[in-house]
Amino acid sequence: MIGQIALVMVQAALVLLFSPLIAGFGKTLKARLQTRRGPALLQPYRDLYKLLRKGMVIPETASWIFPATPYVLFAATLLAGLLIPTISAQAPLSWIGGVLAVVYLLALGRFFLALGGLDAGSPFGGLGSSREMTISAIAEPALMLAVFTVALGAGSTNLSTMAQAAVGQSWRFLAPSQMLAFAALFIVLIAETGRIPVDNPATHLELTMTHEAMILEYSGPYLALIEWSAWMKQMILMTLLMNVFFPYGLSAGGSAGAMLFSVILFVAKLAILALAVVLVETLNAKLRLFRVPELLAVAFVLSALALISTFLFGGRG
Amino acid sequence: MLLTHQLYAAGLLVFALGAITGAACHFWARTASRISTFLCGAALVGALLEAGASIGGLLHSSDVAWAIPSGIPYIAYSVRLDPLSSFFLLALSLLAGAVAVYSVGYLKHGPAGKNPALSGSLLHAMLAGLTLVFTASDVVFFLIAWEIMVVTSYFLVVTNHEAAETRRGGLLYILMSRAGTGMLFVGLLLLARAAGSTDFRAMHGIGDKLPAATGGLAFLLLFLGFGVKAGIIPLHIWLPAAHPVAPSNISALMSGIVIKTGIYGLARVSFDFYGALPAWAGMLVLSIGVISALLGVLYALMEHDLKRLLAYHSIENIGIILMGFGGALLFRSFGHPVLAAIALTAGLFHTLNHGLFKCLLFLGAGSVLHATHTQNMEEMGGLIRRMPATALYFLIGAIAISGLPPLNGFVSEWLTYQAMLAGFGATTELTRAAFPIAGALLALTAALAAACFVKAFGITFLALPRSSQAEAAQEVDLSMRAGMASLALACVLLGLGATWFLPVFDPITQQAFGTGVSASLVSGNGFLLMAGAPVRGTVSTLLLACMLVALSVVPLFLWRMWGRREKRVTGPAWDCGQPGLTADNEYTATAFSKPLRMIFAALFRPRREIQAEFEVSPYYPTSIHFESEIQPAFERHFYDPLLQGILRMARSMKMVQAGSLHAYLAYIFITLILLLVFAVRG
Amino acid sequence: MFFWQDPQFGDRMITLMAALVLVLQIMMVSQRRVVTNIRAFAVQSCLLACIASTIAYFNRAPHLYIAAALMLGLKGIVLPEILRRLVARIGIRQEIEPFVNVPVSVIISGLLTLLAYVVSEPLQSSPVTGVAGLGRNTLPVAIGLFLIGFFMMINRRKALTQVLALLSLENGLFLAAISLTYGMPMVVELGIFFDVLVAVMILAILVYRIRETFDSMDISRLSRLKG
Repeated sequence: MIGQIALVMVQAALVLLFSPLIAGFGKTLKARLQTRRGPALLQPYRDLYKLLRKGMVIPETASWIFPATPYVLFAATLLAGLLIPTISAQAPLSWIGGVLAVVYLLALGRFFLALGGLDAGSPFGGLGSSREMTISAIAEPALMLAVFTVALGAGSTNLSTMAQAAVGQSWRFLAPSQMLAFAALFIVLIAETGRIPVDNPATHLELTMTHEAMILEYSGPYLALIEWSAWMKQMILMTLLMNVFFPYGLSAGGSAGAMLFSVILFVAKLAILALAVVLVETLNAKLRLFRVPELLAVAFVLSALALISTFLFGGRG
Repeated sequence: MLLTHQLYAAGLLVFALGAITGAACHFWARTASRISTFLCGAALVGALLEAGASIGGLLHSSDVAWAIPSGIPYIAYSVRLDPLSSFFLLALSLLAGAVAVYSVGYLKHGPAGKNPALSGSLLHAMLAGLTLVFTASDVVFFLIAWEIMVVTSYFLVVTNHEAAETRRGGLLYILMSRAGTGMLFVGLLLLARAAGSTDFRAMHGIGDKLPAATGGLAFLLLFLGFGVKAGIIPLHIWLPAAHPVAPSNISALMSGIVIKTGIYGLARVSFDFYGALPAWAGMLVLSIGVISALLGVLYALMEHDLKRLLAYHSIENIGIILMGFGGALLFRSFGHPVLAAIALTAGLFHTLNHGLFKCLLFLGAGSVLHATHTQNMEEMGGLIRRMPATALYFLIGAIAISGLPPLNGFVSEWLTYQAMLAGFGATTELTRAAFPIAGALLALTAALAAACFVKAFGITFLALPRSSQAEAAQEVDLSMRAGMASLALACVLLGLGATWFLPVFDPITQQAFGTGVSASLVSGNGFLLMAGAPVRGTVSTLLLACMLVALSVVPLFLWRMWGRREKRVTGPAWDCGQPGLTADNEYTATAFSKPLRMIFAALFRPRREIQAEFEVSPYYPTSIHFESEIQPAFERHFYDPLLQGILRMARSMKMVQAGSLHAYLAYIFITLILLLVFAVRG
Repeated sequence: MFFWQDPQFGDRMITLMAALVLVLQIMMVSQRRVVTNIRAFAVQSCLLACIASTIAYFNRAPHLYIAAALMLGLKGIVLPEILRRLVARIGIRQEIEPFVNVPVSVIISGLLTLLAYVVSEPLQSSPVTGVAGLGRNTLPVAIGLFLIGFFMMINRRKALTQVLALLSLENGLFLAAISLTYGMPMVVELGIFFDVLVAVMILAILVYRIRETFDSMDISRLSRLKG
């Protein structure tokens, strides 16, 4: 019991403390690729600290939904973070909800965030909410179908079981179904975390914003919570993608050396994925909003092909 | 057991007396206004009695029917409280109780208030009809009860018959229902003939004894007949026309339970009258389910009439229920009774859940309508400050219907997902692929539903009021709030305590597939919901909820640690540099759903028209007229040609209409002779 | 035995490459730019050459090497180059305008793949294992390529893009041939290759002429030619 609680605390700390680092790494890397110096690696931590210490302005038109949103979003995202396997295949709380719970907890946060965007009554908030709900809705079938493909292979929707099923079969990612599902989920990752070519996290131009428009009215500690949640969500999705498809290091035993090895592998996997995301961001221009469905349709068909190839190649997919 | 029947009879008696008293008082003008509270109280008592009876029926599952001889051949007024009937009766009594409480205030002040006694009387009659539909154990008696329900609900729908829209909606409702009843009649008689009896007990598994073609035809007819009532696409067009025009307490019952009679009928036919159906039947139900769910939510997104939006969501949820049913049928035909039990449980649980949150949302919409006198979302806004309790209950309903954890909608959708996932391994060939793809489309449906309810809640309750009515809105009275609160509480309880409720389905699946279901769905001392076996995935809504509460303390802690408690200032929201933010700047419901309207343009075929008047330059218009509408595809491409065809046929039939009495007599004479010959020779 | 001599490994690689071929085909459906389409076709052809030579290697069937080489040379290098020059020469616009919009076309392609699986299943009911069965499981992909290629031909307006669709359709036939029979008799195969080459030459000239005559490549204008 005590051990369980301790594990939950450790994982919570990991998700809370590590997620800003990934965001910072992404930003720095992107700047370097574009031959800029960019912000320091630890800048997100400084931002959080600063924002948490600031006062805030609450729009006079807002209701109790506005202050409630950051708490719900933060709690839902952090809870989703406790359900996923990070450095060990056994996530501390994976038994109280599998991959469906993770997806729906993120959806709960998004639901409130979109309401928070509408609450102030400014046109930006509405614009952001509308776009966010649209993009997430059309990304959903691709996400679910790809998840289903992996879950069917593992015979479970429990994430720890899924990761364990993947441990043992080291060359499994070469199977077409796995590669296609990975490609589909990668596109979904880009869409869900609001990166180029779907959304531009750095923009403040109303025609192109999605996420930024929705949270325009938030300031101070509330903004800190929302930003932090966005980073945690990014980390959760990236971890999910890497650990389900490339379960290296998850099987390591309990010794200190093995733990260290797992942690190093975990960091390396996320760094590689972050590099891929940054490359996509650097090499592409943002799509028009109405071209996004085309991208997500491709993701959907990729995941459908992933599913089909589990039996298309006579059991060898 | 005895007590069960007595409770049942007492409840029915209360409904019957309520109907008679109300009707009598309607003509005695002085009491009419005072009687409504009494009638609502009586409805609550009746509902509680029926709830008791249904719990008795679920606890002691028995196959005992209870009949009053009618003296007419082929009709026996027999009722039976088997597990399936009891379950639907339970759903009915829960909703009826909440609506009865709500109606106390609603009938007193609401738009239905001009004939409170008559409304109350019809409400009682409809509840009696519904009770009988769910419990009748004889084909003819079932059809009589069905018609009582249809006719009383028709009268309730057209309460506000002054409006042309209401009359049109009502007419469409009764016409489509007639067509449905016709199909039911033929289908049920086909089955009853094979059984040689009209008793439901004798018809158990009778469908299998029919030749394949006849059995398939009977199933198809019954599916379509019950499908009309349930509002499956493409037989749904009456639903968004009729539900919104009814008084809101009636809309709530219509969407909550009346359309579920179609689901009950389908369950009765598929899992009682048929012991095995070919795979195409399951595939049909599954695909109709997917289509109804997806198109229902897409049309709902385009609505800015709050009650029509909710009506389209009923179609969506019926689709989700049918996905569970289709899965159950397929599993049965592939020989997996446990999986079939899980899928059926998913469908039935969603039936109850949808009843609860849809009823709640319609009552919420009724309160909003009551306070603002409009159903148009574009004229609402800012109601969360003026009607805080209604807003909270509506929000709970919105979270539940969007399938978000930890409320009840999440549980039944989770079960449906698991059923779809299990389908991949348990079936073969194309069916394998159909299951996960259905699951993915369910995900799309749920995400679109969430988008739709962000719109419905955000535009209605948040930001600034968009009209003077919305500005002057007042919170509704205590009884209306109590009605909504009880349903909201039920949504929360069924979400958090789902595992303790699931044993209710054991007798039902025992009857249908010979296996209980809770043993394969509940583990971990009742705290965990699992999908057949613990290894296939577990979830616990209760623990998720506890963790959510616990984790929302983390920000407070962080804040305490680092924050400097700088003061919060309220200030104006960003207004783009314009002087002051007004309701005109706000995002509208139409604007909110615009991206989806563009993405699914092939389906909606939107048309828009902008006329701007200007004096100096087109960039400074003095007035703008904007119109936007979507094409009702089913009406235009399916029903209009059908109607034209019927009219053409009717015109050619006019030849027969000679206008001469002699000719008519001759027709009757000829028919008589033909019948005589047929009777003697045939 | 090294891992590259293990038929299991060969099987893995062939399955993977076949999947990529299919993905490239769907990418061609979803891409609007002509040049990207040509490039995707070139990569697809190279992958097919790889599949052919993998089968040749494990089955010791040298004639398949020739087919692979022809595939690589003609459809991987020469034809794409011809088409690229044509594009440059007549200076067509970048965008392909399909009749059915992109998301729907992509989803139709997915459905066609499913159909391909359904129709090819009876042919695979008795799985051949071991070296002899190598590549058999790519038959559904081959049929899928064929169907999607056909759909692309129907869906596109410009003659040039139809040529591309035809070529990818023919790739499907090639894959079917090597997956079912380890290649048709050499003569037939050579014939097909030269046929395709000549066909593309002629089509290229035709496209050029259509463009000269109608000042457009939109073949729906050809309907004017009917009496």
